[in-house]
Amino acid sequence: MTAIHAPPAVRSLELDAGFGSVCKVLRTRSTYDCGKKNRADELHSTLDFVMNEIAIQSAATRWVDDHGECLYRYALVRVRKPEVAEDLVQETFLAAVRGYQSFGGRSSERSWLVGILKNKIVDHFRKLGRETSFTDMEFLSDEFSEKFVPIGFWNHDVGPHEWKPEPDEVMHRAEFWQVMRDCLAKLPEKIRAVFTMREMDSVPSKEICATLSITDSNLWVMLHRARMALRECLEINWFDTPAGGTA
Amino acid sequence: MPDEPYNPSPIDNPSVLARRNWWQTMLVKFIGKHTPKCREMVRILSQSMDEPLPLMMRIKKRLHFLICCWCQRYEEQLRYMRRTARQFPEHADEASDVPFSIEMRERIKEKLAETPR
Repeated sequence: MTAIHAPPAVRSLELDAGFGSVCKVLRTRSTYDCGKKNRADELHSTLDFVMNEIAIQSAATRWVDDHGECLYRYALVRVRKPEVAEDLVQETFLAAVRGYQSFGGRSSERSWLVGILKNKIVDHFRKLGRETSFTDMEFLSDEFSEKFVPIGFWNHDVGPHEWKPEPDEVMHRAEFWQVMRDCLAKLPEKIRAVFTMREMDSVPSKEICATLSITDSNLWVMLHRARMALRECLEINWFDTPAGGTA
Repeated sequence: MPDEPYNPSPIDNPSVLARRNWWQTMLVKFIGKHTPKCREMVRILSQSMDEPLPLMMRIKKRLHFLICCWCQRYEEQLRYMRRTARQFPEHADEASDVPFSIEMRERIKEKLAETPR
């Protein structure tokens, strides 16, 4: 077997992460190709392959450092169980490495990775949906009656206030995201699953119904209650507070 | 027609149409009578985030908004929540301080290195 000395460019990369696996692949490829091709050609293509592998491996290591925390914390908001969240993040990175060729830098690395994670989460809920019935009677029966006067108009004293600042501005405020996370955490688990699939993962409503085996009207009731509750919570804990309102 | 038991337009009502004079009162009453009540309207608004409303309902919604700035705000806020919620995942690291431990990092890197593609 040919001993391959990595050129300086390769050596300068951080090799520790994937070098073992690269060598394994290399060994299989060289024995397999031996004798079939011109030696120089073979070496050349193998080296290309190795360089590519190393580039992906070192990129993957960097992703874990740069985006792992964000993905893990997001997964945790969605599934609550740390071990499930870790699995989802791991699967995301594995899928990212496999699909690296298809990522042409069209979006930022983070939104690409988040996109993969969102799909993994939907798959997770799909499995979960078959096991549990998606209704939460106590929460769903809350009619927010204090919000409306008996004939059905808003009670003007407690109707929606104006929300300032604009979305583009709050997106740069860590406190806003904290409030949103806390408010989401207050929703019952299944309602939250439905709401986050619809509003965070942008899954079409038909698909959510199919995924969780629920009816359209059931979904609408759940989404309506979730939106009502989240709106209320955001208003009280962010928009009506000095932190939010005076920004 | 008997007067409604609740006056939907207090003096500081910021809606476009409020009971500021005789003909506005007539108009407000008419629109109030022929469009869904707010309790129903918020349900319809939520549903409109998931599938398009029929034309008649879209017209009624517009008319209702003339007399009810609260429902109008409600709709704006539904869009506000959607817009921000979609951005949430990419800002999830700012939203909490749950540690992403070194061990977990290493476990994932190890798994990445040893899994064949």
